[in-house]
Amino acid sequence: MFPKLDPLLHSELRLAVMSILAGVESADFTYLKTQTGATAGNLSVQLEKLTAADYITVEKGFKGRKPCTTCRITPAGLEAFNTYIQALQAYLPTAQK
Amino acid sequence: MTPQESLRLITETMNNNRLDIIRRSGKHFLLWGALLTFFSLLVYALWKITDNAAWNNLWFAMPVIGFLLARLMEGKEKEPRPQNTISRIVGGIWGTFGIFACLISLFTVLYTLLDKSDNPIGQIVVGASLTAQIVLLFGMAEAASGIALKNWAIRIAGFVTGIGGVILYYVTGVGKEQMLLFTLAGIVLFVTGLIVRNQHK
Repeated sequence: MFPKLDPLLHSELRLAVMSILAGVESADFTYLKTQTGATAGNLSVQLEKLTAADYITVEKGFKGRKPCTTCRITPAGLEAFNTYIQALQAYLPTAQK
Repeated sequence: MTPQESLRLITETMNNNRLDIIRRSGKHFLLWGALLTFFSLLVYALWKITDNAAWNNLWFAMPVIGFLLARLMEGKEKEPRPQNTISRIVGGIWGTFGIFACLISLFTVLYTLLDKSDNPIGQIVVGASLTAQIVLLFGMAEAASGIALKNWAIRIAGFVTGIGGVILYYVTGVGKEQMLLFTLAGIVLFVTGLIVRNQHK
């Protein structure tokens, strides 16, 4: 029986955001926007969903005079991300595992 | 998305992100390489014209100017660069090198200023070996960066500059020409920046 895929991560933009945050200590909103190619509005919505699930934390502040939004993956988010990857591998044909 | 598409997205995103962070760190090599080349040539020229080794004190201005320029560069970035393990390690290596190079220079200056004994040979030995020590430290930092960045050219450049620099220093003797070893180190650092930027495009 195939494991259930986390519906929160099984979305292109949210998965891309989690893939970026899994490899860095933190990332700025504008950096995530450029890397994913998403619009600011769509990215904000997806970040809110990930925050609500406690997969990431979003910190709003200032760098000098510029406002900045810093996103970080949480331990729960990292665990969910790893579980998701393991689950995905179960779907692959044996030859590709 | 199919599972294959999801895995491809994860792999590509993580890979692109990693390369982007490393590529961006190349500009710090370019900045410090250019500064090192500039200061070494400036000190060399002033030392040669005036025949006064006190121009070496100008070196203390380099970390201050470099730090300010680095901050200015970061401030001008449209999107702040995140840190990953590699960029943090490389940053740590060069930060540590900078601190040790400054401390060793400071100790040498203090020693030569405070030593009131009639021991000019001791002062000359301490002061003279400073360039060799810093070049050796530089080579170590460069080689360690090559290991972190998994780049053989940078690793070899580190060993050649560090060990070769010390040999060259003792072969050519102590004089103002020793500043040209720092020019060489500056060029190596600048080329490292170009390699990092191009390799991870």
